[in-house]
Amino acid sequence: MTRHGLSVLAAREVSASLDDTPVLHGVSIELPAGCWTAIVGPNGAGKSTLLRVLAGLVPASGGEVLLRDRPLQEWSHRERAQHVAWMSQQHGEGAADLGVRDVVHLGRLPHLGLLGTPGPEDERIVQRAMAQTECAAWAHRRMGALSGGERQRALLARALAVRAPALLLDEPTTHLDPPHQIALVRLLHRLAHDDGIAVVSVLHDLSLALQADRLVVLAAGRVKAEGPCDHAPVRDALAEVFEHAIRIVRVGERWIAIPELAS
Amino acid sequence: MTLAIPGNFMPRTAVRNVFSSGAERGARASTPLSSRSAARDLGVSPEGRSRPGAGARSLAALGMTAIFATLCALCCLSSHAADIRDDRGVTVHLAAPPQRIVSLLPSLTETVCALGACARLVGTDRFSNFPPEVQALPKAGGLDDASVERIVALKPDLVLAAGSTRAIARLESLGLTVAALEPHDMADAHRVLDAVATLLQVPGADAVWSRIRQRTDAAVARVPAGWRGKRAYFEVDAGPYAAGTSSFIGELLRHLGLGNIVPAELGPFPKLNPEFVVRARPDVVMGGERDVDQMAARPGWSDMAALRAHRVCRFGRGQADVIVRPGPRLGEAAELVADCLARLDPPT
Amino acid sequence: MIAPEAARARRRLAFALTLASVVLAVAGVMVGSEGWRPGALADPGLRDVLWNIRAPRTVGAWLVGALLGLAGALAQGLFRNPLADPYLLGSSSGAGLGVVLVLAAGATQGRAIESLAEDALARLGLVGAAFVGALIGVALTLALARGARQSTGLLLAGVVVGVVLGALADLVTMASPEALRGKQVFMLGTTGFLGWGACGTLAIALAITLPAAWRFSRALDALTLGEDSARSLGLPLGPVRALLVVLLALATGAAVAQAGLIAFVGLVAPHLVRRRLQAPHGTTLVASTAAGGVLLLASDVLSRGLWAPQELPVGVLTAALGGSFLLWLMHARRTS
Repeated sequence: MTRHGLSVLAAREVSASLDDTPVLHGVSIELPAGCWTAIVGPNGAGKSTLLRVLAGLVPASGGEVLLRDRPLQEWSHRERAQHVAWMSQQHGEGAADLGVRDVVHLGRLPHLGLLGTPGPEDERIVQRAMAQTECAAWAHRRMGALSGGERQRALLARALAVRAPALLLDEPTTHLDPPHQIALVRLLHRLAHDDGIAVVSVLHDLSLALQADRLVVLAAGRVKAEGPCDHAPVRDALAEVFEHAIRIVRVGERWIAIPELAS
Repeated sequence: MTLAIPGNFMPRTAVRNVFSSGAERGARASTPLSSRSAARDLGVSPEGRSRPGAGARSLAALGMTAIFATLCALCCLSSHAADIRDDRGVTVHLAAPPQRIVSLLPSLTETVCALGACARLVGTDRFSNFPPEVQALPKAGGLDDASVERIVALKPDLVLAAGSTRAIARLESLGLTVAALEPHDMADAHRVLDAVATLLQVPGADAVWSRIRQRTDAAVARVPAGWRGKRAYFEVDAGPYAAGTSSFIGELLRHLGLGNIVPAELGPFPKLNPEFVVRARPDVVMGGERDVDQMAARPGWSDMAALRAHRVCRFGRGQADVIVRPGPRLGEAAELVADCLARLDPPT
Repeated sequence: MIAPEAARARRRLAFALTLASVVLAVAGVMVGSEGWRPGALADPGLRDVLWNIRAPRTVGAWLVGALLGLAGALAQGLFRNPLADPYLLGSSSGAGLGVVLVLAAGATQGRAIESLAEDALARLGLVGAAFVGALIGVALTLALARGARQSTGLLLAGVVVGVVLGALADLVTMASPEALRGKQVFMLGTTGFLGWGACGTLAIALAITLPAAWRFSRALDALTLGEDSARSLGLPLGPVRALLVVLLALATGAAVAQAGLIAFVGLVAPHLVRRRLQAPHGTTLVASTAAGGVLLLASDVLSRGLWAPQELPVGVLTAALGGSFLLWLMHARRTS
């Protein structure tokens, strides 16, 4: 489990509810550094909620979340924000007036605080984040003037600018076209392996999710299996939760999911 | 009041007039000014009366006149300053009788003119329309949105205004003298009349008031006996807003011998439930022309005995102005109502 | 840092607003019921009028408009709603209630019916009561919403407080006809009673609220990403929102206390600015302030000048100017 590195974020028997409906039941997972973990499962499995609980946005009604082996509640808001970066599923319709650069600079808030002024180091980090998501070319444009995919890359850059050891991404590929989806996958790999970040993603696209280092298969608020795709139990659990509508096959070095059309 | 300089001989009748008005002022004794002069007036008389003989008596009369005139002149000189307490409880102090007056309330305009000082008015609010001479005066805005610039440009030495509007504070901060006086009922009207007369240093407040009383009393006498004790409903605005017992209109009606369907507990101008008016079954209905004309159209009102028998007093715009303002035209207001009642047949 | 076109747009807007302010200030001194004559400055009587009446009124109108513009920008940023205005959180009804209480108390003073409460109200005066009332209204809203945790909760609480306080004010005006009359004037708003003292108070209010709002404007930027994203960035949403609400209350209270409820300025000024300038909240707050000042000053000058020596109520002109601008905005958006 900790083959890849120290555990950055962990959930121990976490239960959570949304609007009085229980969504997660006793979820325990480890999210080690230097590893890209993809949370997969059918609709309504509680994937986004799990991400929110890990980010500290939704309180756990049972169990606890550990950040660097300390309970999340013991961390101050600002320190938690410096260690856990979260990108939401919503894609920033409200930020129409802000420029891309302004949005990415918001990622430095956990380090600067509300009153701090950005220095040259912050500027460098912002530039790097924009380069990583390939939005530096139109950094001056307004968010409202961008396409969905461009906006998403800007928001991703915002999350990257936090430079947190844990990066939680909720559906980061929704509006992206295939070249940019692949670029994102490559980026996530680099962040995990080169920068040692614990990357956690919720991805709808199963084939993309299968490129992750580890999978967490979630169904009906419970973890069904966890581990790299190479492990057969993981693959079997995956096929099972998707009601055998897909088949996991290996093509070259990669695993992909093929829709099972035969009834 | 023009008084003789010491040394002039005043005819006996003039002395009597001065004496009597002084006694009246003494009897009132409601302002520091009058009590001072009253004390002096009363102090002079006993000395003059003790001299015997016709020649001696005329000499005595002349001497008395001279002393009296001197004292009155002194009185006049020292009474150039005037102090009153206005509605805010503030003491308004004037060193000399004001010659340029701006009035921001129609009833105050009428009061100033009733005291004969109309010529001293240099500006009014835009609703002041009586007497006709004030209509030509510069207008300084409405009751609450007075034009500060216009008022200051008129360079008044006294501004008469109503109640607690923001204009008063602003004008005072610009150095103007402002007296806040607003009559709400008959006693108030008398008090305001006296206060304005004191401020303006004009005599005759009592004469004006007694004229008002005479007119009112004459009007009361004109009300037919059959109307005494009958109950009235006076509508001041569609709503319906009624004039209650404790309002000045209610007071006027009471004076004329009429009752009011609105009890005193409801306040001066309550907004009534129309049902209340119908159930109270007033004997006579009064109001402005427009309001009265559409009363019959209100649901349930056409059955009202007063409306069916046309026991209705409709007051035109100018007449309504007279009745609505508790000022010097109270007598005229009483007459308007009395005349209307005289024209109607009282209910059996 | 900023793109050259954006920088140019900012400079143009700043220049336009400054120029407009100066031109209107000059016009403000020249327009009034007494008119203007060449050589007016030589006439001591007229010079008094100019200095003591028109000048403070002109400066005061700009300051009131600036405070309302700032408050409007804060409200629209806080609630992320382009239709928000400064009066949303119960400040207007609180101020109205304060005003009618003072008027009703004042009406009974002449009849020697005194009480401790009336004494206090009389000392407070109309201006003080409106300011205190506005603050109390917002405090009640914050209390009802249990702190500023959620925008929608805050909005709802503001509506409730507004309705309740408004009903209380109506009750008072039913009992006291003087209060009713005064309240109607208050509701329409007026710049006619602004003296140098009022200008000083307004300037102090602006000096307190504008820098503080500018310093914390990054919170508004973060809020545009969504409440959860803002929280994930470590933003203490509750306290920060409460602080911004307090600044909003101070700015609105100060403006309303001096000039009554002038409509449309707080609503329109941020839109005026956003049309020309797309920038983070720090810049738009400052620009809205200036735009609000220009808008109200223009309305004030027009109210004095259009029909001199009569005066139109300034609230009518802000509605006309602001309303027609909004209409033009909608039309432009539709045809573009």
